[in-house]
Amino acid sequence: MSALTDPKGAIAELTRPEGWVLGVSVAFLLFLLAALLTGALGPTYFLFLVGLAGMYALLSFGLNAQWGFTGLINFSVAAFFGIGAYGSALMTASGSPIAGGFNPLVGLVVALVVALVLALLIGIPTLRLRADYLAIASLGLAEVMRLIVLNERWLTNGSAGVRGIPGFFSGWPVLSTFPETMPGLRLEVIPGSPVILETAFWRASLNVLLVLAFAGTVYYVLRRAHRSPWGRVLRTIRSDEDLARALGKNTYSFKMQSFVLGSLIMALAGVFYTHLNLYVGPGDLDPITTFYAWVAVILGGSGSNRGALFGGIVIVTIREGTRFLNDVALPIDPAPLRLLLIGVVIVAVMRYRPQGILPPQRELIWPSAVDGRGTPETPDSGVREQKGGGGDE
Amino acid sequence: MTVLGYLANGLVFSSIIVLGSIGLSLVYSIADFANFAHGDTMTIGAYAALVTFGAVGGLGGAVLGLPFGFFLALVVGIGAAAVVAVATEKLIYEPLDIDSIGLLITSIGIAFIYRALIQIRFGSDFTRFDIQAQRPIESLVPYGVRVTLHDVAIVGSAVVLVVGLHVLLQYTDLGRKMRAMADNPDLARVSGIRTKRVKLWTWVIGAGLAGAGGVFLGLFNQLAPRMGFNLLLVIFAAVILGGIGSVYGAMAGGFLIGMINQLTPFFSTVVEALPIWPGWLAAALESLISIEYANAIAFVIMVAVLLVRPNGIAGEAAT
Repeated sequence: MSALTDPKGAIAELTRPEGWVLGVSVAFLLFLLAALLTGALGPTYFLFLVGLAGMYALLSFGLNAQWGFTGLINFSVAAFFGIGAYGSALMTASGSPIAGGFNPLVGLVVALVVALVLALLIGIPTLRLRADYLAIASLGLAEVMRLIVLNERWLTNGSAGVRGIPGFFSGWPVLSTFPETMPGLRLEVIPGSPVILETAFWRASLNVLLVLAFAGTVYYVLRRAHRSPWGRVLRTIRSDEDLARALGKNTYSFKMQSFVLGSLIMALAGVFYTHLNLYVGPGDLDPITTFYAWVAVILGGSGSNRGALFGGIVIVTIREGTRFLNDVALPIDPAPLRLLLIGVVIVAVMRYRPQGILPPQRELIWPSAVDGRGTPETPDSGVREQKGGGGDE
Repeated sequence: MTVLGYLANGLVFSSIIVLGSIGLSLVYSIADFANFAHGDTMTIGAYAALVTFGAVGGLGGAVLGLPFGFFLALVVGIGAAAVVAVATEKLIYEPLDIDSIGLLITSIGIAFIYRALIQIRFGSDFTRFDIQAQRPIESLVPYGVRVTLHDVAIVGSAVVLVVGLHVLLQYTDLGRKMRAMADNPDLARVSGIRTKRVKLWTWVIGAGLAGAGGVFLGLFNQLAPRMGFNLLLVIFAAVILGGIGSVYGAMAGGFLIGMINQLTPFFSTVVEALPIWPGWLAAALESLISIEYANAIAFVIMVAVLLVRPNGIAGEAAT
């Protein structure tokens, strides 16, 4: 917003952690750019990574809507992610054991509807439970989901997974043939190491556009929702559920709404993953996916959407960085190393910065109400309405 | 196999679950959080025993088909699990200034660290203790019971440990302090109980029993870095079924969940035999009640118990 008109002022306003995150991000971007230009990092692979980061950001947004906003400990992220992935894969893939061959948009809708149903099925029994019981119950139900996907071969192909998934844009008027029609480009920024852009590159850039659209929309919706009166009720529930109930709010209903919203976003991440990876298997429902999202959210700062975005990028760095490290420097199996890093990050954050790196501060307040810029010109749903109770929706 | 055979298997598996669930329940009531690293504490015990057994060998004679060296390894496994748990409490949990939900999340990180270290050191493949596999006891085979001497040893050792814990809780000073703390930590502290020390002992006992459970699990099945995490939810199911915070409830819950887990094939034959109407329901039940879903059934029971009786079968009161 103001960063474009007054960059210096915007930088001066940053808090210290914000400055650090900004500095590290810029350095990391420069590093990636250098790797791209020298050809050390293939542009197609780079775009795949961007897509993956966007996907984890989406997943973290979903979890943030549950844990960050309302304080629901949902350990079934992987189940909703998997439902989204399998829902769209089974509808669209040529190798699908049921229907298959539909337009990816149909897959998207079906995946979201199935995720909605599952969210209600899991939410109705568990959301009344105490927080720690919810954690255990949701992890158990996610495991049930994984076992079903693994064992019901007639429905999901079992451990073989689903192959033959088309890209998201197949069947669209222009975009389905866009990668093929684009000419191959050959950039030679640094002499001797040309960067070649081919069909695969254009396909990957379409995916990136897609995830940017998804993530951008979700980010915007969540931002508005979090600041709205509805979001304020959720935040009240998070800090003191009894208080929210005493104020006359039906907390169960609010929790359910936030649970469903988050679950749909997770399923959306799954849909995108299907068309990015073009293969889904039961391994994608492994609990580790859940904890990737958790690390992203608590590292970024619970309740903070930009924190979730930052966390998503860190997760991809850990995921792909360990693979890279294994190829280049240390011959350590990347799987346990990843697990170790995730564990260390969780413990370190809880030990030294339990509120996360970018905890929500100003972003929770309606922008015109901060920084002593005089009284806000009566926002239609502002901070001051709290006394009057405000509207629910 | 006959019903008796399934029951016998259930008894063996239950012994392992009981060992795990007691520790989880103790820590849940005294340290006051759901410890997701408990399953991986079992893995630590199992691998510590594996290393020890590999180093010392059989040491001559054998009891119940198990060489003396294995019992030494068992003790080392228990000790290693306890030491690791106490070190974690001292280094990680104690300095933390967060609520029980924060501790829960931290314990997941701890679980990953344990598992990752084991996987880096030992690889992710299955291994076994280097002990000759036993044939089922001949005299029991006609009854359809196929248990080995090792299984008998597992049940026997578990009974010894559980009885020992019972004596400790009911008749010793430490046990009384622990029960007091589980009941009301603040009241315990103002009564002059050194709650920190009691908490440490809780970790020692809970993790030690988990270590024993891990060693027996390795003997019963195989060892793998994921063995504990895979069992964790089953143990949670047992603890919740028995009522969180109740040690005797956890024993009962562990027994029931272990039995149900191993009796699943029997249930599926029962379902096939029953005339269930309509046909699609019978088909659905037949496909859902099968060995593949043995763990899933435990989780569904767990959720059902949480809904109907959040205090479990024994309730909160009886520690």
